[in-house]
Amino acid sequence: MMKKILIIDDDKIFSKILRDGLVAGGQGKYEVVTAFDGEEGFEVASREKPDLIMLDLMMPKVTGIEFLKKLRAEDWGQETPVIVETQLSDLEKMSEGVELGVRGYIIKSDYSIDAILRQVGDVFKE
Amino acid sequence: MFPRELLPLAVGLIGLYVIVVALSYWWARRVRREIEAKEREIKHRLYEIAILKEISDRTGYSLNIQKILDVIAGSLRQFIEYSAASYMLLEPSKIIFKADLDQSVSPQFIKDIRGRMLGSLEALLGRPLADMQIEETLTGAIMLDDVDELVQSFFNIPLVIGGQLVGVLTIAHTKAGLYKEEEMAILYKIVNQASQAVTSLGEVVKTEQGKIIAMLESMVEGVVMTDRDYHIVAMNPSARAIVGYTPTGEPTMFDIVEKFKNIFNLQEKLEESIKLDKMITLDGAVLGDKYYQILLSPVKSNQGAMKGQVLGGVIIFHDITHEKEAEKMRSDFTSMMVHELRSPLGNIKKIGELMKSSKILEDKEASTEYAGMLYDSSSSMLDLVNDLLDVSKLEAGKFEVDRQPGNIKELLVERVKFFDTTARDASVALKISLGEGVPDVVSMDTKRTAQIVNNLLSNALKYTPKGGTVTAECFLHTQGTEIGAEALRFGMPWFAESAEKSTANLAKSVVVAVTDTGEGISLENVGKLWNKFTQFTSTARKGAEHKGTGLGLVIVKGIVEAHGGTVGVGSKLGSGSTFYFTLPLEVV
Repeated sequence: MMKKILIIDDDKIFSKILRDGLVAGGQGKYEVVTAFDGEEGFEVASREKPDLIMLDLMMPKVTGIEFLKKLRAEDWGQETPVIVETQLSDLEKMSEGVELGVRGYIIKSDYSIDAILRQVGDVFKE
Repeated sequence: MFPRELLPLAVGLIGLYVIVVALSYWWARRVRREIEAKEREIKHRLYEIAILKEISDRTGYSLNIQKILDVIAGSLRQFIEYSAASYMLLEPSKIIFKADLDQSVSPQFIKDIRGRMLGSLEALLGRPLADMQIEETLTGAIMLDDVDELVQSFFNIPLVIGGQLVGVLTIAHTKAGLYKEEEMAILYKIVNQASQAVTSLGEVVKTEQGKIIAMLESMVEGVVMTDRDYHIVAMNPSARAIVGYTPTGEPTMFDIVEKFKNIFNLQEKLEESIKLDKMITLDGAVLGDKYYQILLSPVKSNQGAMKGQVLGGVIIFHDITHEKEAEKMRSDFTSMMVHELRSPLGNIKKIGELMKSSKILEDKEASTEYAGMLYDSSSSMLDLVNDLLDVSKLEAGKFEVDRQPGNIKELLVERVKFFDTTARDASVALKISLGEGVPDVVSMDTKRTAQIVNNLLSNALKYTPKGGTVTAECFLHTQGTEIGAEALRFGMPWFAESAEKSTANLAKSVVVAVTDTGEGISLENVGKLWNKFTQFTSTARKGAEHKGTGLGLVIVKGIVEAHGGTVGVGSKLGSGSTFYFTLPLEVV
């Protein structure tokens, strides 16, 4: 069964690369939808009910952490796995993310597409 | 037989002798009188000197008037005869009356002189002293009820210190006809000299104290001085402000120690500083939103017999909040720059990875898209690096512009056209408004001027929400009129600058402005706009936490100033902002 992944990131280039990488690397297993800020992300998430959310922490309007709080407050969003995309500089925000049930994180500029694919694969292996 | 004819001669000689004797007697008497007068004068001078010397020896550098008066009264006995030498001293809440009796007198005698002294004080002050409490002390001979001699000789000397009446000194005797002018004059002199000495010494001390107090009070650093038992002996307003509210209103060492108890034990540190006789510096004291560096040091006496002895300790609170803020700004700036460089670089790397491993290159459409992404990512990095280079040139004072004749109106039209797509994508109306009189050719660095316009337009579009308007404006400014007034005359949208800045005196120039209908900038933030480390977060559509470097406006200002022009911002919160710059026409 196809897994639905939602990417919420305001960096359109990164978002596009990640989507193409997941689609190509997933070999038909992943369906990817995107949103460009936290507000839009929440709309898409409520509509699509994704199996995994790739979430950027630094975004306009609704930040990543705010999005997570909103998501966890919903019945349908309590268990959704979330992988946080960060830069090294905001690793300190991770502790808050861990409390909100974040499954893992990727450091945007350092991690290769392969490494990201492995991490996504790990989430669905369970 | 005495010859008769010699008689007149003898009579003449006798007469002459008598005259000579009489004259010499008269002369000798005159000389003796003069010598006596001189002797008397010398004696008085010697008295004066002796008394003054004794008084000054005994009072030393005292500023205590009562002590000095005791000394004067005690010394008078040596050169002046009296039944009672007394003084009255005015204190804020009472009058001190002290009398030294050289012979037994009646209580009536004392009452009499006390009444006379009080009367003369009232007369000198011009106000009644009847309700003041009088503290009376009698020394010397005892009082006797059965003597009924009254005051027969009496004189008063007012005591004036620093121009203020502080009391009166009185000499009284039961014998009549004493105290001639000479004695009174000497006493006046003594009292005056003592008063003057006290006055000038008092002034010196007051001036010195005043200097120290003024210095301490005006110090930005908080200063607390304690004695050896850690009781506070001096504390300036800055230190009080640091300690803040205390229940008693007067902060104690305990209050200070309590304030910093979570960071370190200040008293222990001060004890250590005194014990080891060295200055101790404590960093990292945070109170609320303030950072302090605390210096602790022993205080030693620097004069007299106590020289070198430890008197206590001093605590100095040095507010380093600004330094810490600047440090944080610099480190924020660095991490922001790193972030801004890492993002496109990371993207480029991943694009390469995808192109290598997947079949993207086989799809013509996808490969064009990827080429565009590579171009955008590397361009944004290159722009950033160029901005950094510009800023470092500006800071080094090595920024130069290459001025050539150019057409500013054409440049503006062309730039607006360039941003047309961006504006349409953002649903923002992008307009251009050109005023009359702008010359076709102005002297400018066309490439750099385009850079300024790009920056202002892209900022305006970034901070203007959907449905808003961005207007590029260009008109001629003539000296004597405010730029804002000129824009409004041309019917162009304009947000006026704060009232403090006047543009009327600017020489004839071309004004280029970009006005948006964005969220506006607070007055406080307007001032920070041109700072390298300032970056604003926006709530508008595209504004994001840490978006952009904030270097753009710093460079804009640098380019404009290199042209001899000026930059300015006017804004109204919730309505929009106008960013403008001028290109002077006279400068070629």
